[in-house]
Amino acid sequence: MEAGSGLNPGDDQANVEKVLAGDVSAFERIVRRWQGPLINLAYRFCHDRGRAEEMAQEAFLRAYRALGQWHKDAAFSTWLFALATNLYCSELRRTPFPTVPLEAAAEPRDSRAPDGGLEERDRDRAVRRAVAALPRKYREALILFYFHGMDVPAAAQSLGLPEGTVKARLFRAREILRGKLPLLLAAPRLKEA
Amino acid sequence: MSYDELDHILSREEEILPSSGFATSVMEAVRREAATPPPIPFPWKRALPLLIGTGVALAVALVAGIVVVARWGGTATSMELSLPLMSVLRRTLEGGLIVAAGWVVLALLLTLASVTFSMRIASDRA
Repeated sequence: MEAGSGLNPGDDQANVEKVLAGDVSAFERIVRRWQGPLINLAYRFCHDRGRAEEMAQEAFLRAYRALGQWHKDAAFSTWLFALATNLYCSELRRTPFPTVPLEAAAEPRDSRAPDGGLEERDRDRAVRRAVAALPRKYREALILFYFHGMDVPAAAQSLGLPEGTVKARLFRAREILRGKLPLLLAAPRLKEA
Repeated sequence: MSYDELDHILSREEEILPSSGFATSVMEAVRREAATPPPIPFPWKRALPLLIGTGVALAVALVAGIVVVARWGGTATSMELSLPLMSVLRRTLEGGLIVAAGWVVLALLLTLASVTFSMRIASDRA
């Protein structure tokens, strides 16, 4: 996902300095710039639009409170995503969104499909359900990896984990998915046979 | 299913747009936050000498206690040790009523002083 496009990183720094100097309205420019990425990141975690916006709002509030703690050694976006990821993960640990067991995560077959199989849309949905049913640590690594456009260092920074750990979790997550998905996708056919 | 297929599916996650009032709602919350006075920080500068003094007094009392017990222990076995300690306790409870009352008054005065001190600090900050 392309985050905060159209503006350069210096704008973030200038806005942060204005906010720290007491100009609260400068924070609105930060919100408008990063609202899309932060809501979409939350949405990938919970797949609930309302909850995604609530979590993103809380992330902005926390960012506002902690703005002075951003040491400019890392990009503002890196700091913001790490803060938001930390919040989203703890929020979902506290009140998890409903998931189904991996084996039961198959979508009902679309009877309109001409070849009698799943349509692409249904297959996508089945994959996403399977991701939602993964153990938490694998799911978080996978979500961040794809959110950052398959960038392991960025995912590792957001999760606050070493790159090696993220790579290992990604490998394991994809192995689980690859192992489970053929069964998952075949499930409706088997049911009908 | 191959890794490429997985990557392909998971990379094209649907994008959602923020609702129209999202930024306004965040800014309202931020302005509320900005209008709230910051929490009163703990007055370490004023409290530190008192805390250190209390710590030293406790340490001295502890060391004195250990020394007393060690002296008793050096001259008596564990059975003999309990008898003098019991007699000390009995003497304290029976004869030290006025002394005990004095300690209670001192404790109350200290509590009153600390409450007054805290309230004065809080009113200075507000």
